[in-house]
Amino acid sequence: MVDAFLAVLQRPNFLAFVIIFLWGFYIMVTRYNLVKKLIGMYLVQTSVIFFLVSISAKKGATVPVLLSTTEPVQAASYANPLPHVLTLTAIVVGVATLGVGLALCAAIYREYGSLDEEEILKKLE
Amino acid sequence: MSHQLPAILFLLPLFAAISMPVVCLKHRHWSYPISVATLAVMVLVSILNLQNVIHHGEVRYVFSGWTVPLGIEWVADGLASVILVLLSALGLLGVVFTGSTSPKDLGGRIVHYYTLILLLVSALTGIVFAGDLFNLFVFLEVAAISSYALIGVAGGRALFAAFRYLVLGTLGASLYLLGVSYLYAVTGTLNMSDMVDKLPFLLSSKALVGGLIFMFIGLAIKMALVPFHSWLPEAYTYAPESISPILASLVTKVALLAWFRIIYWVFNASIVINDIPILLLVAALGTLATVIGASLALAQRDLKMMFAYGGISHIGIILIGIGQGNQTGFAGGVFYLLNDAVMQAGLFFFAGVAFCQYGVRTIDDLGRVGKQAPWLTGSLIVMALGMVGLPPTGGFFGKWYIILGALEAGNYVSVAAVLLSTLLTLAYFVKLFECIFRQSSTQLDVQSGGIPFPFKLTLGVTTAAIIILGLFSGPIVQLLLDHALPPGL
Repeated sequence: MVDAFLAVLQRPNFLAFVIIFLWGFYIMVTRYNLVKKLIGMYLVQTSVIFFLVSISAKKGATVPVLLSTTEPVQAASYANPLPHVLTLTAIVVGVATLGVGLALCAAIYREYGSLDEEEILKKLE
Repeated sequence: MSHQLPAILFLLPLFAAISMPVVCLKHRHWSYPISVATLAVMVLVSILNLQNVIHHGEVRYVFSGWTVPLGIEWVADGLASVILVLLSALGLLGVVFTGSTSPKDLGGRIVHYYTLILLLVSALTGIVFAGDLFNLFVFLEVAAISSYALIGVAGGRALFAAFRYLVLGTLGASLYLLGVSYLYAVTGTLNMSDMVDKLPFLLSSKALVGGLIFMFIGLAIKMALVPFHSWLPEAYTYAPESISPILASLVTKVALLAWFRIIYWVFNASIVINDIPILLLVAALGTLATVIGASLALAQRDLKMMFAYGGISHIGIILIGIGQGNQTGFAGGVFYLLNDAVMQAGLFFFAGVAFCQYGVRTIDDLGRVGKQAPWLTGSLIVMALGMVGLPPTGGFFGKWYIILGALEAGNYVSVAAVLLSTLLTLAYFVKLFECIFRQSSTQLDVQSGGIPFPFKLTLGVTTAAIIILGLFSGPIVQLLLDHALPPGL
């Protein structure tokens, strides 16, 4: 048990990811306000992006531009560029989703005069 | 030229979608013919592509010359090409149908409405072709974002349903992305065919199991597998009449396709992780989904809600077929997927016509249809035969091959589940027809002119397709067995 805890502490980035993910998920599940739900959703997306970036980081590594073209490439001295590129795409996707979500929220507010899920459900019946 | 077909198929609807707001700036009524023409060309190209794949084997399309594993690869194999013919044909029918039902108060925004439909079709094309796990994620999200917006168009209750779909769908996409990053962390590649080479040495990795589970949960939300189905019925019920057929027939099926591409093409399907055979799990979840979905459908009184739950139960039947792990079951599952897409489209076309022409929302109003439109009732009877699975229709042969596959695998629980869901399907259609033919419910006569031509065309084509798929089930299943099977099955 103690070993497991120590193993987790060895990788604080994973711990941070789990905390942010669960925090976002908790907000999504427990809050009635639709905008707060969107905030929770965005936290979940961000946590996954954070995870992607954190697995590509290396100690003492530099940007992935070749330092020398004559020597053989030392993979350990460059950060992995691919997850960063994926992250950019994932951020764009996340922003687009959030945009549509906020537009829906605005339309819901105009229609029902409230953003509270319980009030909206009451009006739906 | 022929090796460019996958890219052409994707770019056709995409370019039409992007250029539409500009082209139709002054002439908004052009948007309908342009969409129809684009998708009609897409149907032809997809048939050409299928022919090409059958004669010359699969096409691997590499974007801008970056070879695998560095670049993004698209795979047009037999399965993708068959599904693509279905996708473009149903997209075309959906757009043709849209012409007479599109929400009246959209005004100038009608152009964006068609833009979104074309964007949805192009994104679905991307999912079908994607040979790269991250690429798949991007198209999954493009398809999802266009569906959220399209559902929200109807206003009213649809807004709230679309919001729920958005929150759940995004959670699913995030989980899928998380799974992809796990697999990337373990294997160091995102390309499916490259990953296949690296996986056998890594099967004991816990990260791999975790990644697979996250991906599965993510895609299960997208394909509305019980118990992740809660967004689907409301979203499809309150969506505009013209959008429900496209969404119901395509979006969930394509997510399902993505799932079995991952499990069969990337992971070797027969693998056992921690003493749990993955396929058995898939079949068990399918069993659960098909019985629960059909029972919930029986409890509905809203017409579209009933059909939506019917769709959920059929996702389960397809999963049962796929989960048997033998050729018969797989071909049966894919064949049933084709049939189910056509039947779902047909049922929602029916619901759309019944609402637009006769104001029918719940099954209690259906008596009006029975009295005033015998042809409409006739097409519903054919669709019901297909849904229940009686011989002249494709639904019967799909279930037949799935049951044969289950018997071959000795999986009698699956056989029982398919039969039970068939009985439940029969029960809710009996309930429906009882309402149609009951004379007392016709007190409210809605004045309606003739049924517009697009309605007749779409309903006629889907009804005919259900029968044709049944009559030609032999050659189609043989085609699937010859060209669409995963390697090593």
